[in-house]
Amino acid sequence: MAAAAAGWAVSGSGRWPALARCCWRAEMVAYFSAPAASNREAKQREDSSRRRGRTSQLIRSHIPPRTERMAVDQDWSSVYPTAAAFNPSSVPLPIRMGYPVKGGVPPAKEGNLELIKIPNFLHLTPPAIKKHCAALRDFCTEWPSALDSDEKCEQHFPIEIETVDYVSAGTSIRNPKARIVTLRVKLSNLNLDDHAKKKLIKLVGARYCKDTDVLTIIIDRCPLRRQNYDYGIHLLTVLYHESWKTEAWESEKTEEDMEEYIWENSSSQRNALATLLQIKATENVSNVTKEELLASEVVRNYRNSVIALKNEGETASNMSQYKESVKKLLNIQALP
Amino acid sequence: MLVLTEWSLCAEQRVRLQSVTVCSLPPQAKHSEQHEGHHYSIPLEEVKAALPHGLPHRFQQQIKTFNEACIMVRKPALELLTYLKNSNFAHPVVRYVIYGERGTGKTMTLCHVVHFCVRQGWLVLHIPDAHLWVKNCKELLQSSYNKERLDQPLQASFWLRNFRTTNESFLKEIKTQQKYVWSKRDSTEQGRPLGEVVEQGLTRVKNASDAVGVVLKEIRQQCCLGSFKVLVAVDGVNALWGRTTLKKEDKSPVSPEELTLVHNLRKMMMNNWNGGAVVTTLSQTGSLFKPSSAHLPHELLGKEGFDALDPFVPILVPNYTEREFESCYQYYLHCRWLQHDRARTEDGKEELRFLSGCNPWQLERLAAPL
Repeated sequence: MAAAAAGWAVSGSGRWPALARCCWRAEMVAYFSAPAASNREAKQREDSSRRRGRTSQLIRSHIPPRTERMAVDQDWSSVYPTAAAFNPSSVPLPIRMGYPVKGGVPPAKEGNLELIKIPNFLHLTPPAIKKHCAALRDFCTEWPSALDSDEKCEQHFPIEIETVDYVSAGTSIRNPKARIVTLRVKLSNLNLDDHAKKKLIKLVGARYCKDTDVLTIIIDRCPLRRQNYDYGIHLLTVLYHESWKTEAWESEKTEEDMEEYIWENSSSQRNALATLLQIKATENVSNVTKEELLASEVVRNYRNSVIALKNEGETASNMSQYKESVKKLLNIQALP
Repeated sequence: MLVLTEWSLCAEQRVRLQSVTVCSLPPQAKHSEQHEGHHYSIPLEEVKAALPHGLPHRFQQQIKTFNEACIMVRKPALELLTYLKNSNFAHPVVRYVIYGERGTGKTMTLCHVVHFCVRQGWLVLHIPDAHLWVKNCKELLQSSYNKERLDQPLQASFWLRNFRTTNESFLKEIKTQQKYVWSKRDSTEQGRPLGEVVEQGLTRVKNASDAVGVVLKEIRQQCCLGSFKVLVAVDGVNALWGRTTLKKEDKSPVSPEELTLVHNLRKMMMNNWNGGAVVTTLSQTGSLFKPSSAHLPHELLGKEGFDALDPFVPILVPNYTEREFESCYQYYLHCRWLQHDRARTEDGKEELRFLSGCNPWQLERLAAPL
């Protein structure tokens, strides 16, 4: 274009405009001739590939992806030895991800940012983990042969300590999450009587799971793991001893504090006894004592049904049991 | 006129027995399992006398439309009637609590029992809906009898009026046992008929709640002697132990004990008297601060209510059985209530059964526009 400009400048007076124009057009032709030539070549190559039956590729990326050359029984842990982003040409799976176009399907894996954004575990397949274990085995000691079942482990080692070690590629080997210690113990393995167990459960609150009878304490208040472990053991000891003690103010425990329904000394017992005494009074049987009434069959039945109703909630069977027991208690006949 | 209505039919038989006769009262005492599923009708005068305010609103509309009041005889009601017939009136009163899901027929069962007792000559204290006493009260007066409590003149006078309609005969027989002083000028002497107390409550509306209290107390004291039997029928008894939406003038909430009517009614629910029975219903519709799925006694009564009523006999009212559904369907067909062509076909019947889930309330609502 500089030559063209120079040509213009030279023929600025207008004496050679036709010649300059011819020069310029020739320049333009010369400039654009190379791509034109290569376009023609590309078209020839395309035609040749089409003729040979391969899929049509653009001239830039005509190399097929690596997935097409992967064997089915290849060693996958060498494809993804470490955590890496998803590479569509390295993963031979026909994955689709993303929101589908209307009336269409989710987009394919080629150029799919969604698949690249998410974390993947392609580096942690079972064979890869087997290799990790095999490598780590050299650093481990033998598992004691006497502990060959879960029950034996629990019997000899009731307290389980869980700690996590973190390894990452970075400037520092420290990780603040490594100081967290989790202590798990089953309350049935601790020597607790009824009062101690209830007090312990009240003391720990949400850390106790009723279904599995496991107390889980997570300690992270100290900066070092050893300190947290020591604190956890100390905490367990303190809980155990405190729950065995009975304080003076525990005698003020009211009905609302009770964990389960106790029939003795409840309003239900009072009502039932009062009713029965009145019934006996009308029948002129005056020498029946409270203890006899409490020990009688109907009252036992009634007591059991009320306890079941209050502790387990109301189910159809509970309600019918309660109904039968009340009918027997109050001597109601059903037959006409 | 002792002819039996045969609405109930087996699904296999397409033949409808067109004998159109309705049980009238004397056989009601002999209602037994073979009458289960049948409808029996009450003469309209008796409806006005015995159940002036107890029937559900939609059923009252149905009475007006069909010009007859037909109640289906169902198992829970039969069970209750057997218990009542066999009850020993020297023993303390037995409390029966009717419970069930929404729309299964608890109020209708209660009304059936009330009608039976009226016919048998019992004195009936029917509180149609205890929830009305703990909400939407326009006037709350401080009680003159006890400074802590609050009176509800409108609700009390409304109830007294209906009580008078039901129990005219008893009001002349029962005499007061002590003197009651209403104000400086009004007082009721000892030995006067109870009707005077009721009149006092109706004329001087300010004293209506105390009049209700006096009536309940007198009845409680005198039925122990055995001259008459008392049925206390309360619908929505869980209102007595729940919360109220009423507020005092300083905007603090009112608890149920502070209402005179509720306080006196709670005393009736205790089993320290004899000579009658207490039949109650739990109701979630109209209850306050209770979720719509609650229908079991503990959920609706709460701990306080359950302990107060314990020991009681719970009676579950389920949805319609096959036979009862058939019976109800045939009754609607007979009254020409189902006008749609497809309603008469088997398919239509199955569709109604599926849509209503054999729930009486749903079935009635579905059948209405057909």
